[in-house]
Amino acid sequence: MELLKMEHIQKAFFGVTVLDDVSFCVKTGEVHALLGENGAGKSTLMNILAGVYTKDGGTVTFEGRELADGSISDAEHAGIAFVHQELNIFNDLKVFENLFLGKEKTNGIGKLKKKEMIQEAGKLLEEMGVELNPVEQAGNLDTGKKQLLEIAKALHSNAKLIILDEPTTALNNEEIAHLFDIIRRLKEKGTSFVFISHKMPEIFQIADRYTVLRNSRFIHCGEISKVTAEEVTRYMVGDSYVSSDLYEPRQLGDVIFQVQNISGEAFEDVDFEMRKGEIIGFTGLAGAGASQVMQAIFGVIPIKSGSIRVFGEELHTGSIHQAMKGKIAMVASNRKENSVLPDMTILENMYVSQHAIESKNPHIQKKKEIEKFEKYRQLLNIKANTHKDYITSLSGGNQQKVILARWLNTEAEILLFDNPTQGIDVGAKAEIYRLILKLANEGKTIIVNTLEIPEIQKIADRCIVFYHGRIAARLARQEINEETVMLYATNAVYQTQGRTEEAHG
Amino acid sequence: MAKRLKNFWHNYNFIIVFLGIFIAFLAVNGSQTTWTSVTNIFLHSAILGTIALGMGLVVLTGDIDLSVGSSFVLVGGITIIFYNKTGSILLTALCGILLGCLCGFINGVLVGKIKMPPFIVTLATMLIFRSVSQYMMNEMGETRYRIDATKSSYQALFNFGNGSFLTIAYIVLVFLAMAALMVYMTTSTKFGKRIYALGSNEKAAKLAGVNVVWTRIFVFVICGALTGLASFLKIAKDTSFDPATSGKNFELYSIAAVVIGGISMSGGKGNIIGIVFGTMSFTLIDKIITALGMNALLNDTVKGLILLIAVGMQMIRKRSN
Repeated sequence: MELLKMEHIQKAFFGVTVLDDVSFCVKTGEVHALLGENGAGKSTLMNILAGVYTKDGGTVTFEGRELADGSISDAEHAGIAFVHQELNIFNDLKVFENLFLGKEKTNGIGKLKKKEMIQEAGKLLEEMGVELNPVEQAGNLDTGKKQLLEIAKALHSNAKLIILDEPTTALNNEEIAHLFDIIRRLKEKGTSFVFISHKMPEIFQIADRYTVLRNSRFIHCGEISKVTAEEVTRYMVGDSYVSSDLYEPRQLGDVIFQVQNISGEAFEDVDFEMRKGEIIGFTGLAGAGASQVMQAIFGVIPIKSGSIRVFGEELHTGSIHQAMKGKIAMVASNRKENSVLPDMTILENMYVSQHAIESKNPHIQKKKEIEKFEKYRQLLNIKANTHKDYITSLSGGNQQKVILARWLNTEAEILLFDNPTQGIDVGAKAEIYRLILKLANEGKTIIVNTLEIPEIQKIADRCIVFYHGRIAARLARQEINEETVMLYATNAVYQTQGRTEEAHG
Repeated sequence: MAKRLKNFWHNYNFIIVFLGIFIAFLAVNGSQTTWTSVTNIFLHSAILGTIALGMGLVVLTGDIDLSVGSSFVLVGGITIIFYNKTGSILLTALCGILLGCLCGFINGVLVGKIKMPPFIVTLATMLIFRSVSQYMMNEMGETRYRIDATKSSYQALFNFGNGSFLTIAYIVLVFLAMAALMVYMTTSTKFGKRIYALGSNEKAAKLAGVNVVWTRIFVFVICGALTGLASFLKIAKDTSFDPATSGKNFELYSIAAVVIGGISMSGGKGNIIGIVFGTMSFTLIDKIITALGMNALLNDTVKGLILLIAVGMQMIRKRSN
């Protein structure tokens, strides 16, 4: 029986279509995997279902009744619960208080009936098979337990459909197994799940059916038992056209940058070296550790073991200042949060890093700085009226170019770009690629971390794929394609291998 | 033209606030206004203004220093004892500034290095500094810290505190020189830009290579140095310190002067020159109330109202952007 039917869903944000005629069905008592690359439209679809966004067109039928566009609480009343990737647990409240938040049991004068609530919470958690003390402070729970508490919250509201958005990213293997046990048990009782995940092995373990979205469209729907990880991956990435017209082979120099077996909080045993003028693409799913490796190289987060050598000399790690002195620069991800100084002018934004390492002469020679800015404005094609304008008056792409100028101005040799094209339009993206290639041509050594594989295809000489903090694959330029990268990034390689072994055995 | 006018309003509305209050002052005083009454505005702004300059730097980084009033009396008291022992004006001035630096350094390390919230740290040191100052005096069996008038350099010190050059008091000249120095520092030095960067977006500043820990500590030290200098100016002017009442509420008045001067409490926005006008606006309110013959107890009512109006205007300006 069909529990949920979403048909011909349309949605656009500011004129950009994010869902185009998408249909999606979930049966009673099944785990349905919703698949697609970043930006394919999965989250938007689920947010429409949960009442966070309103749809522009199409119909949603739940338990045979059409759901009108409503609010989050309407969706909850209907029996739909959304467990977000970021947990919504209140650390300062106890477990049972989290469960009963907003629907506390009270007596006539509004006094809480704590005993009753604690009892009920205990019963619910026991039924779920979760070892959780209802009076425990939620803040003391580890992430896995919090995730389970979040699911308990969904069940407590009598949800018939629970949406799990990448529920396993923060869990270890044991916790994942436990979570899957609970999902299976609830499934037998008739609860349905939408399971959003990028990890292929998990999907094959837990899901019954799947739906793939790509570029805002519905692509395919089917049963998991009748498909292989490779086929699913192909549905996800499509036969997308690769334009590599920007790239030209270059003569690379000597090895100047060596990262030797570094390990840290979110990555382990990362080892690679680079020649002068080389471009390496880092990729992996969100949270796979590529960004953390970059931050560790730049001294933002500590390294527990291993070493880094620049031009043969060992770098004193764990200090941004030392990394800058070692001629390393990092264009951080999330420009607004990590790069832009919103109250300062374009010129000031460009010079802040140069000032930080060149502090011998405290006086600012403004004339010289303006001349230098004009040079970078031409080189990077920064579209700005005057250096006196605030940086926030520029478009995202031009802001990013100012940040790039900030680092070129420190005369760094090794440039780390963490998700450099985030939040900038297509035209500006192409310009950033061209700049990266141009800089490499002029001898800069560059690492670009991005989730978008076509970007890597456009610029990289080599690609390093991360999975769970480790290097999962090193691909040469001719080997880089979305399918291969996704196979390694989702660890589907092992899934496929496992199946072949089974078939042979 | 309209845009330029709007920009001027945006960046310099503290001048308009000041002019508005100044015109009210002229209207109240009428024909009794003399050159002296105008120079008195500066004279009575100099000490608070010097402290407010330091406060302005702290606020630009997004922090706050509630201890300035207390370090003002603590430093003042010890500096008086120092003068009474040594009799040297120059060394006394140096002593005041260095002790101020020390007070600021304590705040700076706790806020910058240990990362305690500035409100709490400076609230604690505010209590400690004044209490220590009162205890020390009590132990000496006095009711006020007083300069020893029998010292040979006493007259020179008194002249410095109360004399003037071309009708402008020496201490006003010191205040204006400090204001000029701070304006130069914030607009034309690399360190000054770091203060703005830190206040504008600390995370981005850090990732751009700014040493945010030391920038913070330095800013608190400079604030302390200016407070210590203000203690010295007060010694020269009044020759005594009462630890119970001197510098009372100075932390709040200096914050008010900073805010009326157009510096945003969230940090990163504003010009130091605004503080000069902000302080003078505040002094003028005192004078208007005196001239009107109102009860002096109403002083803070009017000051509070002016503060609300000034900040309200800045908010409206922000929303219209």
